[in-house]
Amino acid sequence: MSTFDQVITTDEWENTDISLLETLDHVLNRGLVIAGEITISVADIDLIFIGLNVLLSSVETAQEVLRKRHEIL
Amino acid sequence: MVFSPENPLSAEPDIETSHVEEFVEQLRCVTDTLPARINIDAQSVEQGLAKLVLTLIEFIRRLLEKQAVRRMEGGDLSPEQIEELGLALMKLEAKLNELKSQFGLTDEDLNLDLGPIGRLI
Amino acid sequence: MKLYAYCLAEGLDTPPNTPGISGAPIKLIQVEDISILVSDAEMDLVPVTPENALAHAAVVRSILDQTTPLPFRFGTLVTAEQLQNYIAAQKPALKSKLAHVRGCVEMNVKIIQQSTGSEDIDEVIPRGPGTAFLVEKRREILGDERRASDAAELSTFLHQSLAGLIKDEQIILRPAERLVLAAAYLVERLTIQAYREKIAKTIGDRPELHFLVSGPWPPYSFANIELEFKTHFGVT
Repeated sequence: MSTFDQVITTDEWENTDISLLETLDHVLNRGLVIAGEITISVADIDLIFIGLNVLLSSVETAQEVLRKRHEIL
Repeated sequence: MVFSPENPLSAEPDIETSHVEEFVEQLRCVTDTLPARINIDAQSVEQGLAKLVLTLIEFIRRLLEKQAVRRMEGGDLSPEQIEELGLALMKLEAKLNELKSQFGLTDEDLNLDLGPIGRLI
Repeated sequence: MKLYAYCLAEGLDTPPNTPGISGAPIKLIQVEDISILVSDAEMDLVPVTPENALAHAAVVRSILDQTTPLPFRFGTLVTAEQLQNYIAAQKPALKSKLAHVRGCVEMNVKIIQQSTGSEDIDEVIPRGPGTAFLVEKRREILGDERRASDAAELSTFLHQSLAGLIKDEQIILRPAERLVLAAAYLVERLTIQAYREKIAKTIGDRPELHFLVSGPWPPYSFANIELEFKTHFGVT
């Protein structure tokens, strides 16, 4: 039961954008990280995070990743 | 609401806001923090080096700016000194911007955060 | 054979029925008294799709009624051996984290602020372009400082409002952004109702701010035991 006034609960919205984004914020940005490799890809682009030894530059800028991710969402 | 097997937590987390569209817009940015691809070819090593060097210079430049403003506020600089200091920093900023654009780097690429030092100076 | 790891927990006997990444069934791996939920993953990379993200979240959430897990970050692909080694090496830290989150859930508050407060900074009359440059920088810097202190004030305000109701907190402040604060609170399950009531009141106290509240979540923000790779260049 909601204790909030004047809010729009997720039930009332068919578009669950906010729900997906909140979920993404949790699963992508937080959580236990095993030192070493976490391998994730966005569309056809390889994204590899190599723990604390990363000092080399990126091929794709953050803007490119952002653009591709918006296309997925 | 007491946690018990007869009264479990809801199947999905509740998400409540009076401003859905605003948060959708903001959260799209927040979830885009994946680190970008690592590549060990010559060109990107060069760009990586440039990024490192420019980040360092940019860091120092911003500290200098803060210090200059602090001195200006402190009142121990003459108007002429303020003007000279300002002109010098202006040129430095312009030069840095030139270098950044030569290497195709934006402020976001340099990912600058002065941290606690920024607040002390 | 690679495994996709969802979370680890204590006191689990059977894996949940919830389907995982690419619909794969969930299996349970036991390393002494720690259970890990995994699924077979015939891939080198995990695509970031809504389906996969939601599947990951659903699997972790499916055991929240039984116990409080430590969720893995999305995309954790390992071999069984890597997983065993990791658990063995990090056992004390993991047990400590499990004890810390036991009986709790994560509740979140995000705040969007409207104004960015550099309007009322009194002006100095510039005499030349160099001085004008410094005057503008002064305005920016003072604006930054004002925003930083506003953000800190919000964090303190929330903390004081919720004192006694939260076991732990993780606050992310972005003073230059409209989404100025993202807070994760570790709340004991029995305290959830009191927390919700206090949050409702707190929201009412600050009508000029826009709030988003969500939860309960598994404790994603309180799970990690490793140092994150810092992507900022800064001095700490």
